Amino acid sequence: MFVKIDNEGDKYDVAVSGRIDTTNADQFQKDIAPLMECGKCDIVMDCTELEYTSSQGLRMFLMLQKSVNQRGGTLELRNMRPQVKEVFDITGFSSIIRIV
Amino acid sequence: MKRNIEDYGLDLHCNMILEEYREQSHVFAKIRDVVLDSLRKAIDERGLFITAVEGRVKAEESLVGKLELKGYKYAALSDITDIVGTRVVTFYTDDVDKVAVIAENLFEIDWQNSVDKRKMHELDSFGYMSLHYICRIPKSLYYDPDNPRINEYRFEVQLRTTLQHMWAVMHHDIGYKSGVEVPKEHLRNLNRLAGVLELADDEFSRLRTSINDYRRRVKELVSNGNFSEVSLNGDTFRSYLNLRPFDNLNRRIAAINQAEIHETTLMPYLAVFKYLHFETLADIDNLIKTESDDAFQLAVYQIGDTDIDIIASNVAVLNLCVVYMLRKGAGIEELTELFESLNGPSDYNRIRASRIIEKSSKLSFSKK
Repeated sequence: MFVKIDNEGDKYDVAVSGRIDTTNADQFQKDIAPLMECGKCDIVMDCTELEYTSSQGLRMFLMLQKSVNQRGGTLELRNMRPQVKEVFDITGFSSIIRIV
Repeated sequence: MKRNIEDYGLDLHCNMILEEYREQSHVFAKIRDVVLDSLRKAIDERGLFITAVEGRVKAEESLVGKLELKGYKYAALSDITDIVGTRVVTFYTDDVDKVAVIAENLFEIDWQNSVDKRKMHELDSFGYMSLHYICRIPKSLYYDPDNPRINEYRFEVQLRTTLQHMWAVMHHDIGYKSGVEVPKEHLRNLNRLAGVLELADDEFSRLRTSINDYRRRVKELVSNGNFSEVSLNGDTFRSYLNLRPFDNLNRRIAAINQAEIHETTLMPYLAVFKYLHFETLADIDNLIKTESDDAFQLAVYQIGDTDIDIIASNVAVLNLCVVYMLRKGAGIEELTELFESLNGPSDYNRIRASRIIEKSSKLSFSKK
């Protein structure tokens, strides 16, 4: 799993790749920590290379979404692979997190 | 730069009043602050929905104008009761009376000089409507031994509705400010407007009371389970959700993988039920009674072979809607519309709709 963050002002472009599972969920949480402290920011997360997310990964996305909302920012997940999107769909998370 | 008091050309008596006004300006500012803070806090605690709480210390020029006109009436500055003027503007007429009670509890009211101008009009006259209280700050509310006069000077609290306030401001602007005498016909029109606004104020209050009565009735019907008598709308759906009607199915679905349930709002499903032509809460209740087993079956099919151990609380209602739609013969188009209404437009919605159609074709309910 690899997270790359680029930012300009309050815009954050994030690329997530690989698998998020129980073995690396803590690392994922650490990697996205700057996004939890960015104030009112707009985050676009490119998931083209995200192969899999476990429930732990879902929890992290949820935590990030909540934190961003509280600060009045936005989070958008883009280019999700069908098998990853399916995880969001069957858990009901597609209606909670914006996926385009 | 302050003018010399003598330059105003007032008599000696008025000069003394003006001098005291200058000396005590800090006391008046404190009175204004204490009154506004106390009113705001108390109104907030009561949860009243109001337009404004505002206040001012009378400007020196304004006081001079008053003294020029009727300085002879005042033996001392303390006889002038509107040096500090505060105002609470409410949306509804009933709230004027509620704020009045708040003011009565907070301050010492000088009843002899307080006046309810709402009750001063003859049956056939309309005009200025406001409740004016002349008050003092009791020591129990605020006391500063270095400034005991804070509890001695009186101040004014004006209470009125937004429409009464609007009329008063316009009346002041048209009637006084210009300095030109306004023809009687215009004043008559202004007073006719006061009558219209009085009617509007009463109607707003009546409307609020009716809506509150309706909400109470709906809550009662919902909590008694009389769902067929309750038409579906935002208020009734919210009351219905308070009964947590989807919890049982959510718990059954969560139990498949011993998952935790993440709470999320179900209000977006109101639009879905409207789209499905549901008219009363009974339609939703019947949906839960008749389709829960198949919605559970759909969930088992979707998450049974995964290690997912978290679901959102919208899963039950979503699966119920999907099952209902499929049973009614919905295809990819209709399901795509469902997902678009819930998640916004995206290419994913069509893919998801196709996937569900494909999977559900293997489930028993789609063969019934």
